[in-house]
Amino acid sequence: MTAPDFLPAWPPAANSFLIFGLLLLAGLAGGRLAATTRVLPAITGYIATGFLLGPGVLGWLSESALAQSRVLAEFSLGLIVFDLGRRLDLSWARHDRWLLPMGLAESALSFIAMFALLRFVGGIDMLEAAVAAMVGIATAPAVVLLVTNELKAEGPVTRRMLWHVALNNIIATIGITLMLPFIEARAWGATWNPIARALWLIAGSFLLGYIAFVLMTLLARWLGKSPVPQFLLAVGVIVATVGAAQIARLSVLLALLVLGACTRNLDRQHRLIDVEFGRAAQLFFVALFVLTGATLRPDQFGAVAWLGLAFVIVRLVGKAIALYVLAWPAHVSMRQAGTLALALTPMAGLAIGMTQPIYDIAPEFGAELAAIVVSGIAILHLLGPIATRYALIRAGEGEPRARD
Amino acid sequence: MLVNTRDFNLAPDADDLLRRCTRDAPQGELKPELTQSMIEINTSVHTHYPALLAELRATRDVLAGHARKMNVALAGGGTHPFQKWSDRKIYPTERFLAVSEKYGFLAKQFTVFGQHVHIGCATADDAIYLSHALVRYLPHFIALAASSPFYQGVDTAFDSSRLSIVNAFPLSGTMPLVRSWTEFNRYYDRMLGLGIIASMKDFYWDIRPKPEYGTVEIRVCDTPLTVDRAAQIAAFAQALARCLWEERTIDITPDLYLAHSHNRFQACRHGFAGTLIDATTGRARPLADDLRETLRLLAPHAQMLGSQDAFAALTETIDQGNDATWLRRAFAETGTLPDVVRHQADLWAASE
Repeated sequence: MTAPDFLPAWPPAANSFLIFGLLLLAGLAGGRLAATTRVLPAITGYIATGFLLGPGVLGWLSESALAQSRVLAEFSLGLIVFDLGRRLDLSWARHDRWLLPMGLAESALSFIAMFALLRFVGGIDMLEAAVAAMVGIATAPAVVLLVTNELKAEGPVTRRMLWHVALNNIIATIGITLMLPFIEARAWGATWNPIARALWLIAGSFLLGYIAFVLMTLLARWLGKSPVPQFLLAVGVIVATVGAAQIARLSVLLALLVLGACTRNLDRQHRLIDVEFGRAAQLFFVALFVLTGATLRPDQFGAVAWLGLAFVIVRLVGKAIALYVLAWPAHVSMRQAGTLALALTPMAGLAIGMTQPIYDIAPEFGAELAAIVVSGIAILHLLGPIATRYALIRAGEGEPRARD
Repeated sequence: MLVNTRDFNLAPDADDLLRRCTRDAPQGELKPELTQSMIEINTSVHTHYPALLAELRATRDVLAGHARKMNVALAGGGTHPFQKWSDRKIYPTERFLAVSEKYGFLAKQFTVFGQHVHIGCATADDAIYLSHALVRYLPHFIALAASSPFYQGVDTAFDSSRLSIVNAFPLSGTMPLVRSWTEFNRYYDRMLGLGIIASMKDFYWDIRPKPEYGTVEIRVCDTPLTVDRAAQIAAFAQALARCLWEERTIDITPDLYLAHSHNRFQACRHGFAGTLIDATTGRARPLADDLRETLRLLAPHAQMLGSQDAFAALTETIDQGNDATWLRRAFAETGTLPDVVRHQADLWAASE
């Protein structure tokens, strides 16, 4: 006897709504548990939940469910990176002559430290070591912004931290893009128009971000400065830019950072409001981190963990030395330099699409690269948010009981 | 007030700004205040308006320079137009934490910004006389300095909403009608004995004697939008005190206080457009008229003290509107309160 056709198929297949809803609820529970520890940020709870539910442990979140939810992650990242770009006030670098050198030094020294470790201690191939070290320059924008929001942190260290994060993400993205021709040459043995590819990615992403900004200000002129229309305008432009960057195979990260930075620096008529994404965005952020956690596998903490751990340590040391050395001329106190270095700990290079172009042109190289840095990233997924939270509280800028 | 340059909300950077200023400290003194988005600027002692103005401008330039390097800005104004008081952080000194403990939510609500003018007195009895006599002119100070029309995101309809927040404190108001320093000390000792106060700092009066400095302190002024206006108000206070001290035109009687609350409210609510009642003559007249006449009467004193420029600027202010008018105009032009604060910050930092 067959089942009547008005009944659902058995076993029932999950759809996107169900997955999104369950991700939220599971993340909520994990975040709540983290909150009860009084030490862990909610993000750690979201990531741990994803890790437990993901294919690595319980397997309740299947690979296909993860793929279906990818769009949520992309949207969340769009919002986050745009928000980060808005913190990149270039006039600040004009007034504080040490700000840019400090940012460049922090990126450069951590790159050198990570590269040297991978190449000379780990014995890893030069190109792979260079790309992995380049990925390591970037601090995870989502983590620092979410911890900042969770603690309602504000002050000199928080402001500097977000500026450094914006800068080191731009440096890492451009750096990786510039290495693409070499990766391609090795994968295919030929270097057809290598400059064109790098130019397309970098110049194209900058241009896309700028065009989106121009459209945004034109619409804002028409809409006026009411908060609700401006909120919808910002979300609309961000989503459209994420989509356009994907279609044009440009860097979502770079395009959205540029869009955010343009709204901060080029909106001379002050037509745009500094929109707060608030609770609406929180929905997507929870989902993003549960998904991020689901990409972790227990074995990533095993095999090359010692190299991953060393990677994490030299990265932190590289950043810290640069910040400490330049602290005095930059009028930054030693305490601020220390908390700043610690706050820059989170790293999520692979998760934010930075290495997507590598997978596009040389999937094998991408997989090898992932194997090198993945244990470092896995460790930092767990420790990074805790480090940032601790640093901002130590700096006296975060309110430990601020979370709601 | 310290504001960030992103959304122009208050920025908790007082500590960092004060730390940076230790390397090239301006004259006078810079101090933390009750919450971390406030700093107190103290000038050194001055006898002439031009020197005071020069020092204030120099201090402003040092502070504005450091603020720019920190990516924050400073602004004048008696209140921040849209900050939420509950978001404020108490500056962690023993005294401020004790104030917070004692006054509860009032402490964070006290994130308002005022200008205090100290006038040196020859004797303690002179200080008591001036503390009373100046009460007649407190509405004038309020209207001249009023710069807090917006509070917690709304137009309060007041020119100075700041003083309404001060009113909430149990020891606010005016000094009791004591007529000599001896009488004042008797009152002070009783309050001390009853455990109501621990020091003079516990009196949140509009005007009070300050024995450790040998001054009378006028406390009703909002922090003006510019240091120039702050110096002009100090020059007005100096000339007024000189006149009152020399000519003793005010009799210290209960009548002095009879209409004071009404007059004070009128100045807070309507600024120059308020109405003043003289309890002695029973006459009511617009505050602007009384202020113009006062400035005219004080002109010889201003000339003796070298403050003519300040008086000319103040006379112009009566015609063109005070800082509250400027802020409302900025809001009408820009449409958002963050834009108003941006303009406020630009105005404060602008060098002449």
